[in-house]
This record gives sequence, structure tokens and C-alpha cells, in this order.
Amino acid sequence: MHLWQATSICLLAAAAAPAAAADWGFADATVAVQPKGAGVNGGFKEQLSKSTPLSKPVSLAGADTLRVTLTTQEGSSAKRPHQAFLLLKDTQSGLDVSYPFTVKENGKSRVELTQKDLPIQFLSLAEPVDARVVLGSFGSSTPYDNSVFSLSIERNPDVPVPTVEVARYGKQPQIHHIFKGSPTSPPVAITLAFVGLVLAALPLLGGFWLLLGANVKHLPAALQSAPLPHAFFLGSLVAFEGLFFLYYTSWNLFQTLPAAAAIGAVAFVSGSRALGEVQGRRLAGLR
Amino acid sequence: MRWCLAFLLVCFLATVSALSSSGSRLLVVLDESTEKSSFSTLWSDLEGRGYDLTFESPKSDKLSLFAHGERAYDHLLILPPKSKGLGPALTPKHIIDFLDKDGNVILALTGKSATSSSISSLLLEVDVHLSNDRSAVVVDHFNYDTLSASEKHNVLLLKRPDALRSDVKAFFDGEGVVAFPNVAPQTLGSDSPLLMPILKAPATAYAYNPKEETPAPEDIEATGSQLNIISALQSRNSARFTVLGSVESLENQWFTASVKAPNGKKVSTANREFAKQLTGWTFKETGVLKVGKIEHHLATDGEVAAEDLNPKIYRIKNETFFSIEVSEYVYDKWVPFELPTGDELQLEFTMLSPFHRLALQPTSRTETSTVYSTQFVTPDQHGIFSFRVNYKRPFLTNIEEKHEVTVRHFAHDEYPRSWAISGGWVWIAGLWSVIGGFLAFVVVWLYSAPIADNAKKTQ
Repeated sequence: MHLWQATSICLLAAAAAPAAAADWGFADATVAVQPKGAGVNGGFKEQLSKSTPLSKPVSLAGADTLRVTLTTQEGSSAKRPHQAFLLLKDTQSGLDVSYPFTVKENGKSRVELTQKDLPIQFLSLAEPVDARVVLGSFGSSTPYDNSVFSLSIERNPDVPVPTVEVARYGKQPQIHHIFKGSPTSPPVAITLAFVGLVLAALPLLGGFWLLLGANVKHLPAALQSAPLPHAFFLGSLVAFEGLFFLYYTSWNLFQTLPAAAAIGAVAFVSGSRALGEVQGRRLAGLR
Repeated sequence: MRWCLAFLLVCFLATVSALSSSGSRLLVVLDESTEKSSFSTLWSDLEGRGYDLTFESPKSDKLSLFAHGERAYDHLLILPPKSKGLGPALTPKHIIDFLDKDGNVILALTGKSATSSSISSLLLEVDVHLSNDRSAVVVDHFNYDTLSASEKHNVLLLKRPDALRSDVKAFFDGEGVVAFPNVAPQTLGSDSPLLMPILKAPATAYAYNPKEETPAPEDIEATGSQLNIISALQSRNSARFTVLGSVESLENQWFTASVKAPNGKKVSTANREFAKQLTGWTFKETGVLKVGKIEHHLATDGEVAAEDLNPKIYRIKNETFFSIEVSEYVYDKWVPFELPTGDELQLEFTMLSPFHRLALQPTSRTETSTVYSTQFVTPDQHGIFSFRVNYKRPFLTNIEEKHEVTVRHFAHDEYPRSWAISGGWVWIAGLWSVIGGFLAFVVVWLYSAPIADNAKKTQ
């Protein structure tokens, strides 16, 4: 560093130029924001300092024009640099864009920009962007790059911010399938109440029958005259219901059908005998 | 005999291990007038990594990228020709065909002379743009080499780039500065996800035509980080095309140069390591992914029998397990692939559109691969689904895996039984009460004695 400065000073001394001429800088710098339709001196205007940025951000609204004017200097003499940029930089996203000054031979420079000149990505930034002045040229002169103010880009909240949708490879949002709701049953208490109602129909029916005089008084007589047919007939009916229960819980059709055929044969044979006995009782006038 | 075989095998492995994952035939296209010897360190480095170098002049009659309709070379390195264009064997169409056939290309440019229009039209094919007059050079008054370019500031000193984004692997990072003399800048079209900048210019850099005086503001097309010093395209077949703005950065002179930034210390350049990273990436020595075993089966606690692995059919709402084995090639060997932080390897379970898109988690690691897996419930929709892993990331070769399976309904005997549904109890009770009533009725009908006689008697 020291060595380099020393050599540069030596070189400059040899070139018979003032040592201070090695530093690029500027003077008479102003930043102005001119609303649309306002006169030349309307709107915001502020002096810029070479060393310290403005404390408050400069706001640039929809149709405003931002104008930065300055006189570029090498050392203390006005001179035209090769590079004179107004550099806007968003420190968070790392975006940067430069606007070259229009520089005259005497160093008088100006740049104007509106929101239309800004890249779309800058319009949606929440934080003010850093506005820097970059001055540089060939040779050994020290270039200048400092923050001079911060620019806050004001958007009309009613106008949607234009966005750019560009395809970039990266992870995509996760998707978790939303399943249809599983079928639900009413509360068990309600179900049990209705089960109780349904099952209560059976004793109710039996009670009404008893009230009407239903009885099994002929059972001993029937069993006496035809014990086997009655036992088998009733047994086969109960067996049928048992078979249905097995089919409902575990058996398949191929197990059920042969069994049903066997029970059916028993029911047919024993039923015809048992019903013959019943007919005999009717013919005898007993029922 | 066995010793002999083992020796041969070792020899074979030794030659194979120092190679790119996609072949070793490298064609270098350079003008006869170009000093071949000024790049000798690069050539010996490439040969040391197992490449067979062939040097051809763009004007040569023998030069052809294809032989019998197939690629004659695996990789192509084009140095900027002094003459106009690259000749009839290297038209943009030939080079794009070469990319289509999985060949990799490095195209070096220089800002010393104007780039030919045939190279410019080749770059337009891949949406890389040069400056309008094709003779711009990047200068930066803040990051230049004070020893070699104290006046012109056209030797850029840049740090090696970090990862492009936080969720992307860095293949070009490292210590030290790299010198880029006479950079021809490129700008990239913003529409394509296949394009990626490898190295951007610093914010204070700009491009100008050295033949002209101070550039007028309207002549400045792009500045700062919009300018690319090195950019790359990885096509859908994972072939790589790299545009290097400064061919001089590969010269012997800059491999060993000492440079000094303004206000900096004198350091030696890291160009040689960076050239290794750049050629290694482009020629598929790094950033190459390989899929090993893919397994899916019903989720179980214990081991899965071989016949239950990768079934063709699943049922809706099945708890399913999926795993995929991924390896990454790093210069000469396959290593377990590690995801960068913030990135996800995602599994999609799709029928037309994804029903599930889930992050695969690394569950185990072998010597050469990482096994990523996840578990999920198949959606309540029957049809032809596929397990899909579509992993496309900048600088990594694409993984596109699609495995089709059928997802069927519940079978008739897989539903819950009616007694398990509390709402059905009323109907079951009704049924059995009817059966009970029927049996009682039969008994009463068979054995009931009439009461009419008693009534008649009492009357």
C-alpha cells in the first residue's frame, strides 16, 4: 500500500502533476427529484457530499424524474473520467444497475432517470437501494466509489407491481395429497338407543301374541304323534339361520350352498311330515 | 494366471479412475498461428487427468466432429481463431449437433480482437449474447492487476465464485484470485433455466470498445453483474457448453503470474486450479449424478422379501416406501451425493399432475452413494400413477426417473365389515329381530291351540 502510493507519487511527480490529482472525486453535486408537471426548480433538491451520504432516503415516486448533476474532478481540477456511473445497488439481493452520466469535457455531468428506466426487479424492493457514484479512469488515478444517497422507490399501492416470472431450476413447493374425509357414524349412544328400540319390537310382538292367546299347548301332542319330523323340521329352520350367520361372518358361497342344499333336503322331507301332522290336527278339528 | 489378471484389472482401474465420466477424447481447435506452446501447462494438466488430446486447425480438411454419424470426440475445446469464423467443419449447426449427441464444449473468447460472426451466431443459438460490435472488453478500475495492466485496467482480478444461489452446489469456489485478461463479456437471455452464469463481473465493471474513445452513455449496454465473464449452458441431455470470456486466463503465463490488486498485496494467481475446476466441470468430471438402485414397496417394519419389492400394483391408501440411491462423480470416483443446504431431492407421485411431492431424506450411505427415501400414503384415487424423481439443478446433471405403477380400488373383501361400523348396528339388530320373530311365528303357528273354542264355550 505504502509502496504503491510512494511509487505512484514518484510517477506523478515525474510527470510534473500535482499529487492530489490522483484521486477522482466530484464537486457541486446535487440530487433533485422533479415531479411531473412541476417547474425546473419544483420538487426536492439537495446538495450531495463527496464523503458522507445523505441521511434521509430520496424518494422517487411514479412519474418523478431523478436528476443527479455533478462536476467530476481529478484532484481539484475538473476533468472527464472514462467511467462516470450512478450505480444503484440493492445490498440484500445483490442486484446492481448502472446509469452512465452524460459528461462534458469540462467535467459537468448529469444523469436523469425515472421509474421506467429501472429494471422490474427494483420496483418490488421494500428497502431503499444504495445509490453510489462511481468515477474511474485509466492509469494510476484512484477511482471513486462511494454511497451518496439512498433511493427509495415509491409505488402507488393501487397499481400492482410488475413481476417477472422466469423459470429457474430449484426445489418446488411440496404437495401433500388431501384425502377425502373417511365415512363417519353417528354417536354410539344414538345408535344404541335405536338398537334398543328395534330389539324392543320383538318382546312387544311376543307380548301382543300372548295377549291374543298365543300358546304352545299342542306341542306335547305333536311331539307324541310325530316326534322326529317336528324336531328335524324346527331344527333345520334354526340351522338355516345358523348357516346364514356363518355366511355373514366367515363362509363363502361355495361353502354355504352345499350346506344349504343338505339342510333344505332335511327341511323338505321333515317339513312335509310335520305339516301333515298339523293337517291331521286340523282335520281332527283341534285347530 | 490369477496374479496376471489381478494386475491387468489394477491397470485397467488405474486408467479408468483418472478419467471424465463421459469419455476421454478431447479435440482442441486452435489456429496454427496460435502459440500452442503458450498453453502447454493446460495441455499437460489435461493429459495428466487422462484426456487424449487431438489438436486441429479450424481450416484443416480432416477436421470433423462426427465419424459415421457418431461423435468422433467426447469433448471440444475451441480457442478463438484469428481468422474469420471457424470454418465449414465447425458451423453453429455442427456444434449444436455435437451438444445434442452428449458432447461437451468449451468455447474460449478473447477481447483482444473482434469475435467472428459465426461464433456470435453460435452463441445466439444458446441465448448468450455478445456486445453489439462484438469487440468489447471488460474493464474495472477497482479490480485490476496493477502490475500488468496499470494503464489499461483490462486484467481483471476476481475471487473464485461462490455458489450461484444458496441452494446450489459451488463447483468453482476456493481461495485465491484469478486473473482474466482481455475479457469478452457475455450477457445471458433471462428466459432459459438451462443457462447459468459461472462468473459475473463485479458491480463496478463495464465493457467498452477499446478502439473508440470514451463510450457515450447510450453505447453502454450492460454493466456490472449483468456482464458475464464465464457463462454455461447445460442442455436437457446434460451436455455442457461453457463460454469463457478470456482465453488468455488459460495461458501458462497466467497460471504462474504474480498479480497485485489496487491497495492489495502481491499474490500469485489461482488460474491453474480454476482452469481445472472449469474444464473438469465442463468435461463432466464434477457435478455428474448417477442413480443406483430404486426401490419401492409397502411400508413394513422388518425386511422386505424379494418378491414384495417394486410391485406393479398398489391399493389406494397404502402406506408406501420409496428409496433412491444417488452418487456423484468427483474427478475420478463416485462418492455419496450430498444435497446442498436449502435444497431438496423430491419425489412426485403423479397421474398427469403430482398428487404428492415430498422431500426425500438421506437415510443411509454406502461407500459410493447416498440412499434417499420417504414414506407416504398412496392417494385415494385409483389409476396409473408413477413414482417420479425429477431433479434438475444448475451445474448438476439431470435426474429424471419415472416408474409406473397401478393403484387399484379396495377389493370387495377389504372394506371394514358391517359390524365394525357402529352406524350399521341398527340394521343388523333389525335383521336378527326379524329372524327371531320368524322362528317364534313358526313355533306359534305349528303348536298354538285355538282359543276360539274357549270363547264359544263362554258365549
